Amino acid sequence: MNSRRGSGDGGAGSATYPETPPWQLRCLLLPGTRGRRPIIRKWAQSVFRSCSRCGLPRVTAGMKPILLQGHERSITQIKYNREGDLLFTVAKDPIVNVWYSVNGERLGTYMGHTGAVWCVDADWDTKHVLTGSADNSCRLWDCETGKQLALLKTNSAVRTCGFDFGGNIIMFSTDKQMGYQCFVSFFDLRDPSQIDNNEPYMKIPCNDSKITSAVWGPLGECIIAGHESGELNQYSAKSGEVLVNVKEHSRQINDIQLSRDMTMFVTASKDNTAKLFDSTTLEHQKTFRTERPVNSAALSPNYDHVVLGGGQEAMDVTTTSTRIGKFEARFFHLAFEEEFGRVKGHFGPINSVAFHPDGKSYSSGGEDGYVRIHYFDPQYFEFEFEA
Amino acid sequence: MQDAENVAVPEAAEERAEPGQQQPAAEPPPDEGLLRPAGPGAPEAAGTEASSEEVAVAEAGPEPEVRTEPAAEVEAASGPSESLSPTAAEEPPGSHAEPPVPAQGEAPGEQARDERADSRAQAASENAGGNEGSAAEAEPRALENGDADEPSFSDPEDFVDDVSEEELLGDVLKDRPQEADGIDSVIVVDNVPQVGPDRLEKLKNVIHKIFSKFGKITNDFYPEEDGKTKGYIFLEYASPAHAVDAVKNADGYKLDKQHTFRVNLFTDFDKYMTISDEWDIPEKQPFKDLGNLRYWLEEAECRDQYSVIFESGDRTSIFWNDVKDPVSIEERARWTETYVRWSPKGTYLATFHQRGIALWGGEKFKQIQRFSHQGVQLIDFSPCERYLVTFSPLMDTQDDPQAIIIWDILTGHKKRGFHCESSAHWPIFKWSHDGKFFARMTLDTLSIYETPSMGLLDKKSLKISGIKDFSWSPGGNIIAFWVPEDKDIPARVTLMQLPTRQEIRVRNLFNVVDCKLHWQKNGDYLCVKVDRTPKGTQGVVTNFEIFRMREKQVPVDVVEMKETIIAFAWEPNGSKFAVLHGEAPRISVSFYHVKNNGKIELIKMFDKQQANTIFWSPQGQFVVLAGLRSMNGALAFVDTSDCTVMNIAEHYMASDVEWDPTGRYVVTSVSWWSHKVDNAYWLWTFQGRLLQKNNKDRFCQLLWRPRPPTLLSQEQIKQIKKDLKKYSKIFEQKDRLSQSKASKELVERRRTMMEDFRKYRKMAQELYMEQKNERLELRGGVDTDELDSNVDDWEEETIEFFVTEEIIPLGNQE
Repeated sequence: MNSRRGSGDGGAGSATYPETPPWQLRCLLLPGTRGRRPIIRKWAQSVFRSCSRCGLPRVTAGMKPILLQGHERSITQIKYNREGDLLFTVAKDPIVNVWYSVNGERLGTYMGHTGAVWCVDADWDTKHVLTGSADNSCRLWDCETGKQLALLKTNSAVRTCGFDFGGNIIMFSTDKQMGYQCFVSFFDLRDPSQIDNNEPYMKIPCNDSKITSAVWGPLGECIIAGHESGELNQYSAKSGEVLVNVKEHSRQINDIQLSRDMTMFVTASKDNTAKLFDSTTLEHQKTFRTERPVNSAALSPNYDHVVLGGGQEAMDVTTTSTRIGKFEARFFHLAFEEEFGRVKGHFGPINSVAFHPDGKSYSSGGEDGYVRIHYFDPQYFEFEFEA
Repeated sequence: MQDAENVAVPEAAEERAEPGQQQPAAEPPPDEGLLRPAGPGAPEAAGTEASSEEVAVAEAGPEPEVRTEPAAEVEAASGPSESLSPTAAEEPPGSHAEPPVPAQGEAPGEQARDERADSRAQAASENAGGNEGSAAEAEPRALENGDADEPSFSDPEDFVDDVSEEELLGDVLKDRPQEADGIDSVIVVDNVPQVGPDRLEKLKNVIHKIFSKFGKITNDFYPEEDGKTKGYIFLEYASPAHAVDAVKNADGYKLDKQHTFRVNLFTDFDKYMTISDEWDIPEKQPFKDLGNLRYWLEEAECRDQYSVIFESGDRTSIFWNDVKDPVSIEERARWTETYVRWSPKGTYLATFHQRGIALWGGEKFKQIQRFSHQGVQLIDFSPCERYLVTFSPLMDTQDDPQAIIIWDILTGHKKRGFHCESSAHWPIFKWSHDGKFFARMTLDTLSIYETPSMGLLDKKSLKISGIKDFSWSPGGNIIAFWVPEDKDIPARVTLMQLPTRQEIRVRNLFNVVDCKLHWQKNGDYLCVKVDRTPKGTQGVVTNFEIFRMREKQVPVDVVEMKETIIAFAWEPNGSKFAVLHGEAPRISVSFYHVKNNGKIELIKMFDKQQANTIFWSPQGQFVVLAGLRSMNGALAFVDTSDCTVMNIAEHYMASDVEWDPTGRYVVTSVSWWSHKVDNAYWLWTFQGRLLQKNNKDRFCQLLWRPRPPTLLSQEQIKQIKKDLKKYSKIFEQKDRLSQSKASKELVERRRTMMEDFRKYRKMAQELYMEQKNERLELRGGVDTDELDSNVDDWEEETIEFFVTEEIIPLGNQE
C-alpha cells in the first residue's frame, strides 16, 4: 500500500494521489489537472429497468453513473457532507477518500490509518472529518488540509462514529473483540484535555449484543444504536442510560440513516428488510422487504423514497452465481412500501448507499471496491404512484 | 379389570396385584349399585375392607404367581362377598404421595379429591411406619382394618369416576398376565385315518413326525370307538404359538389320496360354537355429515386450489389460484411432518405424521379420516379414491404383515397388510384405472389382487419368470409387462387382458438391454422404449415400439431413434408425443404424430434446446420444455398444434414444473429441498406469460388440487368449444371488471396508507419546527434547515472541472 503512495503522506490540502493504479492507465491525462482525474463513463445501456406487472421497476431511465475507483478493497461506508458537494468514502483499505460529488474528481485522501476503516463522518460545516478503523483508533481530521487533529486509541476496532448536531461532541463505538467488550465513547471537542488524555467524558458499556451501527439522534441529545441481535437502543448522550429499546429486526442491523429533518430514520438489517422508525419514540413505521440481506438504506431528502443496497453476503458470493446475488440498489416508496425501481451495476453486494442532500443523485459503494454516483434522470422525478 | 372385579374369585384380586402396576380407580359398572347394601354406613365399612384388602394385595406383589402371599388369606378372610364391592381403589403404597387417582367420591369436585388425598396420605403414613411393601406387615393390618372401624379411605358411594382404567394405563394393562389353562395350545386334527389298535402306534409315529415340526407335543389324545380311532385327534403343544403355527402350516396337509388334514385350534371350536345362529343387525353408525367434499368445484370463478409447504415444512397453506394474487384459504403450522398429497380426484388432502396418515377435506379442511401406521413414509391412493396404501419401514413383523397396509378410506378400516420383501420402487402396488385390481411384482411372479376382497385374483399369482416391469393401462384392465432375453428365448412385451388373463398381444424383441413402458393417458397407445445393442453395431440404439391399443390385434409400429433419449412423453389427450434426444449441450426436441393409418410422422424438430424434462398440459396441445436444476431453469413454452415456440423464459434454478389440472396455468418453483436460496414459485399462463412471483421463505412444495374427470359428454364439450367466442366475450368483460376493481382497491389502499403517513409526517414536522431555535443555537445561529438557507454564508467558488467521457461500448461491462 505504502509503496503506491505519492509524495504527500499526511494528505495535504492540495490533494495528493497515489501512483497511477493500473486500471487508470488507459485514461487520458488532460493538461492542467492536478494529479489523476477520475474516469467518467457513459453508459449507453439503460440501467434502470422497466417494470411489468410482476413487480419489476416501473421507471425507465438511462442514468450515467460516475465510477469512483479510489479503493483497493471493499467499500465500508460512504457519506455526503451536509451541503452535498463532497463525498467521503472509506473501505477495508486504510485510505480515506474525499471526492467532488458533482463530477467524481478526487479532492484528496486522509492518510494515517493502518487498517480497514469502518466508518466516516463529517460535521455540519465540513470542518472536521471523523474516521474509525480496525487499527483500534478513531481519528479526527481537518477536512480542508487533511491534517490529523486527534488520534484516539481504543482497545478494539471502531465500528461506528459520528458528530453530534452542533459538531462539538463526537461519539464512537468499539467492537466486542479480543476480550474487550463493546463501548460507546463520548468526547467533547471543546474540552481539549479529554482528547489529549484520551479520556471520554462518558463511556457506555454494552454487554449483551455489540453495536453494529449508530447515529446521533436529533439535536444531539441521544444516540440511536443498532445491535447485532437486531435490537435498537436509544442512549442518552448525557447520562448514558437507555431511553428506549425496541426489537423489530430479527438479525443484525447493518446501517442506520436519518432523514434530512432527523425526525425519522431507516435501518438496514441482515434479516432481509429495511425499516422506518420515528427518531424520538423509536416507533416502527414501515417495512421494506427484499430477498437478500440489506446492508444499507438511505432516505431521499425531498421525495418519499428510500434506496436499499445489499445482496447475497460476501462470503456466499463465490459459491453462487452473480445473477442470483441480486446486487441491485432497490428503490421503495416510503408510504406504500412498494418497490418501484432497481439499479444494477455492482459486481458484489452493495455495502453502503447515500442520497445526495439535494435528492438529485445517490451513490453506492460495493463489496467490489467501486463507488458509483448515479444521477437521476427526468423519469425518476416524474414518476408517481397511482393513488 | 372390571370383569375381574365382577367375578368374585381370588384370582381376580391376584391379578390386580401386578408388578409395578398402579391400581387406578375402576369406573363402577353401572349395575354395581344394585349389589351394594343400601344403608349409608354399611357401604362405608365394606369399602374400607375392600380397600384395605386391596392394599394388602397390592403390597403382596411383585409376582402374582406367588401363591403363598397373604392376598389369598385376606381374600379368604374378607370373603368373596366383599370383593364384589366396587370400591376397589387403592394404589401400591410406594406411590401414595402421588396425586390420588380419581376414584369414587362424594362430590366430583376438587375438594372431595383433596379429602381423599388426605385420607390416603394418612393410610400411606401408616403403611410407611412398617416395612413398606412387606406382605407380612400388610396382612395383620388388613385384617385389623377389616374388623375395626378405621376411617374410610375409599370413595363415597355415589362418586362417579370419570376416568377408566383403560384410559389411565391402557398400555400397562395390555401386558398384564393372562390366565391360561393350556387350552390354547391344543389343536384338533381332522381327517386322520381311522385305524385299529394294531396300527395305532404307527399312526402316532407318522402324526408325531408331521406335527412335532411346529413345536414340542406335550400331550396327544386319540379318541376311540369300536376299537378304531375316530378319525380326529387332539394334540397339545408346549405353547400356544406352536399351535397357531401348526394350524397355519399343517392345515390342508395331504397325507395320502384319501386323507387331507384339517387342522384347527381347539379354542376355535369353542369360539365358533358360541356364535349365535341368529343374525344380529349391525348397529347403525351415526351419519357423519362432512359437508360437500367437492365444494371447490362449484367455485363461481372456476379457480383451482393448490397446497404450498413452506418454512422448510413448518407451515402448510391452501390457496385459491388467482391471476392477481393467490387467495389464502387455510394456513396451519405443522400440519404435516414431511409433505402432503392430494387424492387423485382431489377430494382429500393427506398429511404425514409419525403415527400415521390423516385425510382432510371439505370447506374448512376438517379431519375426515385417520390411519394409524407408525412411521409411515409413502402412500398411494387407488384411482377411485376408495383405498389408501401406506408404507412404513418400521412395523413389519414375521407373522403380522404391516409394512404395507391397504385401508378403506370411507370406513378407515384396515383391509389387508402386506410384507415388503424386495426393495421395489414405490408404488409397489399398481392400481388398475378403475381401482378394481391392484398388482405387485416379485421375483418371477406377478400377483394381481382384486377389490374389495383384497384377495389374489383367482387365488393364484401369475408365474412369469424374469419379469422386469409391468404397468396397467390407464384406459382398460390391460396389463403390459416385459421379460428380458433368456438364452435363446427372445425378450418379449406382453399385453394381458384381465381378469381373463388372456394375452392379447405378444411382441418379441432381440438384443434388448432395457425396456420402458409409457402409456398414453387415455390408454389409446402404449409406447415401449426399447434400448438395444444390435449385432454388428456398437453402443445402444433406441426404438420406440408404438402399440395402437384401440385397433384390432393391436398393431405395432417402430420409430428408430439415432441419438440417446433424454425424455419421452405422450400428449395426455392426443396422439402426439415429444422426445428429447441428443447429448448436452446439443439437445433437440422432436414432436411426432401417430396418424390413424398407423404412420408415425415427425411434425417438427427444434435443436439446441436447453431442456431435460417434458411437461405436457393436462389438456394436451401445449407443452413446457424445462431444463431443471443443472440447466438453470430454462423454460420453453410450445404450442404443438402448429409447433411454434410461444415463449422462452427462465426461472433460475427451478426444480419443479406443475401444470394446473385445467391446463390454464403453469407453476415453476425452486424448492428448498433442492436449492437453498431464492425459494419461490412463479405462476405463468400456458403461453408463458409470467403472472406472479411468489417468494416464500424456505418454500418446499406446491401441489395443485386435482379435479375429477369431467361429467360432460363428448358432444357437450364439442358444443362448448363451438361457442367459445360467445363465452370469451363474457369472460373478457369479467376480467376487465375485476381488473378495474382491483386497481381501484389498490389505489384506495394506497390512499389510506398515504394519508396515515402524511399524518405521521405532519406531527414530526411540527416537532421539527418547534425545535428550530435549539437547532440555530447549536449551530451558532446558522440556519441549516434547507440546503441553501445559509446561502449568504457561502463563499462561492467556481471550480473548473475537466471532464472527459470514455464511452464504452455496450456489453463490455457485464
